[in-house]
Amino acid sequence: MIAPRPERERGTAATVVATPLVPLLEMRGIRKRFGELQALDGVDLVVNEGEIHALVGENGAGKTTLMNILYGLYHPDAGTIRYRGREVRITGPRDAIALGIGMIHQHFMLVPPLTVAENVVLGDERGGPPLDTRAIEQRVRALEERFGIVVEPSARIEDIPLGLQQRVEILKVLYRGSELLIFDEPTAVLTPQEVDELFVIVRQLRAEGKTLILITHKLREVLAVTDRITVLRQGRNAAQLVTKETNAAEIAKAMVGRELKELKARAATGTSLPILQISRLEALSDRGTPALRGVDLVVREGEIVGVAGVGGNGQSELAQCILGLRPVTEGTITVGGADITRDPPKRTRARGVAYVPEDRRVEGLVLPFTVADNFILGKQDREPYARRGVLEREAIAKDGDRLAKDFDVRPPNAKVIVGTLSGGNQQKVVLGREISESPRLIVISQPTRGLDIAATEYVHERLLEQRARGCGILLISSELDEIRALSDRIAVMFEGRIVATLDAADATEDRLGLLMAGHAEAASH
Amino acid sequence: MPIVSVLAALLAGAVLILISGSNPIRGYAALLRGAFGSPYNITETLVIAVPLTLAGISVAVAFRTGLFNIGAQGQLLVGALAAGWTGAQFPELPGILLLPLTLVSAVLAGGAWGAIAGWLKAARGVNEVITTIMQNYTVVFVMHWLLQNGPMTAPNAAGTPASSPIGAGAILPIIIPNEIVPLSRLHAGVVLAIAAVVVFWFLMWRTSLGYELRAVGLGARAAAQAGIDPRRRMVLVMFIAGGFAGLAGMIQVSGLFHRVFDGFSAGFGFDAIAVALLGKNSPVGITLAAVLFAAFARGGTIMQADAGVSSHLVEVVEATVLLVIAAEAIVRALAVRRGTPAEALA
Repeated sequence: MIAPRPERERGTAATVVATPLVPLLEMRGIRKRFGELQALDGVDLVVNEGEIHALVGENGAGKTTLMNILYGLYHPDAGTIRYRGREVRITGPRDAIALGIGMIHQHFMLVPPLTVAENVVLGDERGGPPLDTRAIEQRVRALEERFGIVVEPSARIEDIPLGLQQRVEILKVLYRGSELLIFDEPTAVLTPQEVDELFVIVRQLRAEGKTLILITHKLREVLAVTDRITVLRQGRNAAQLVTKETNAAEIAKAMVGRELKELKARAATGTSLPILQISRLEALSDRGTPALRGVDLVVREGEIVGVAGVGGNGQSELAQCILGLRPVTEGTITVGGADITRDPPKRTRARGVAYVPEDRRVEGLVLPFTVADNFILGKQDREPYARRGVLEREAIAKDGDRLAKDFDVRPPNAKVIVGTLSGGNQQKVVLGREISESPRLIVISQPTRGLDIAATEYVHERLLEQRARGCGILLISSELDEIRALSDRIAVMFEGRIVATLDAADATEDRLGLLMAGHAEAASH
Repeated sequence: MPIVSVLAALLAGAVLILISGSNPIRGYAALLRGAFGSPYNITETLVIAVPLTLAGISVAVAFRTGLFNIGAQGQLLVGALAAGWTGAQFPELPGILLLPLTLVSAVLAGGAWGAIAGWLKAARGVNEVITTIMQNYTVVFVMHWLLQNGPMTAPNAAGTPASSPIGAGAILPIIIPNEIVPLSRLHAGVVLAIAAVVVFWFLMWRTSLGYELRAVGLGARAAAQAGIDPRRRMVLVMFIAGGFAGLAGMIQVSGLFHRVFDGFSAGFGFDAIAVALLGKNSPVGITLAAVLFAAFARGGTIMQADAGVSSHLVEVVEATVLLVIAAEAIVRALAVRRGTPAEALA
């Protein structure tokens, strides 16, 4: 029989931010160096009991390193950690867990064929085998009721969406009796709806007296759900803020260290020639079910057409069909008037189509290759990078360095392995490779997923530049803000069809939301 | 570190030699002497290293493209059969014609045999591990048929079923004169093996095709969207892999045995997998690993004769090397999962 682990008694479930005499967690002067890199240079973090504390900063600011130190994965070079006023030494996750610290990782650590309940108790199975399935499911259900987290305990992980998998991660941590929960980029993989649901859970956890640290760089989420904010920049404290008394601009400035540029005002496009024409396009998903059910779409020169929609409504398949990566079962695709419906990627690209795929690590880049080698991916058999089938190493190295500089890849060294770069710099490599060919059409999916503010700003500027040059852009994104900020027209996808195409001016968030949810009639009023 | 792996395995082997009641120092001394102790021993070690290097390249070139070629053994035998047939079929041709003809036929035959597995994977999604293993068996039985009362069986052959000897023009000359190293069997195949290592390096790191193969191996989807069709490259690379293994077979026929017989060059194709792994699929690494495994094989026989240590123990040491390499990979993977920074492992 598995007995519930007792939660520690607590006086009041504080929903209001009070400032107790002793903070729950006090990290002071934390320093950590990795080789040449001073990742943390004397960072302080003070978290009060019962608050939601945002730890924000750009990629590489040291957020994750700091939390890994707290969780015992790294050992600090200097600094002290006090927990409930007592100085502690955390030498491994076991110590952290024993103190009541739990971590919800960005990449879920779940066993796909096991059930929700089995995953929750994994590593903490009391009584040994055989597991009493019914008992652990009951135990998990009780935990769910207490914290208002709903997910069927007997469901298999592989059958449930990411949003629910994350709840299982949260349950795992709660099951071990954690009082301080660290969320590492919790919304990175979630749909907007799932984000809202997560916030409900997060507030419920606070109401139950838990303390939360949210690692993120999304300002909207910081403002929506947290109480206090610690901003890191380049391994140092950049600001300590109270959420109620601050705003997005102030946080962003602290993160980036300067004011952010406004996106350039967009010039109105005239009636220009269509570059991409798609008619009655149909295609199957990987599982053989219909993914596209008659898509009609036009992108003109010098125009950005945004494709909005909840993930999984055919957006990825649409991009793959245009490139020639997925067989088209019905309909036609033309680029500049030429039929490319059945063309393989090489021929499609030869027509001036550039592609920035949604998963840059798997589809966009060969991670173990250098920056220079990634720049020539797809051009490896042409001059100036190859002559009679033999690579021109000098030309590749020279252009690699030039592109790395032009596209602000950091470090600006084309000999670096791409897999070691940050997400933003990886995206610059992909974008640089695609844009440097002066394409007529760019198909770009989730261009800023996982990127920090500065990198996002950079990508957006480059896209607007391309648009001004007369390039047509098909922008697929699950970030509504991004689509609305960049697009001239917005097409909404739902269940494999474009249910509406709106001028950017008419596309209010409400209307887009209704269309994305499949309420085409409601949205037309 | 491969060197650490080798040392750890030798240490484990020493413990086993102790347990078996012999003196490990004497055993290893005999092994070392057998492998490198005299000019003759060195040439004998190199004779074994030549096919191991080529078969190792065969495995590595596929590895680099993300395919696991278990079929080097079968491809080697097909190459040997092709070389044996060609060499025996045109015995009158001069060496300047017959030797290249023998070589090309072996490379093409081994390549075509390898390409079957590549094609099945590309067109039908059949796992190349399974097809190449099955192909290995197929070759062995086809060989039985060809050599025992089959079309290639030598007339009046006694003892082991074998083919007719190849013509003089198909023979790779001995490159070390008898006056310098008496009885040396070291043939010009060693030159071909060195050339093959250079070709392998040039192909993979200096040509567009090599770039494409590595891109497919390290990021098939990224390659595909950039216009490099992974399926075509799979067929091609299995042809190339088969070609290298086929060349190994040809060298065994033309340089060493001058005919094909049943049970010919057993096991080289499998040791080649270990050679490629230990050599980290790199040209220099494979060459060194092939020499090491050849030294084990050659030295093992001497160790048995001189120190009374069973030569099977050498196989245990070889297997332990692999185990340690595999363990190293596992430890590394675990460390990454636990979030230990890579620098700490370096």
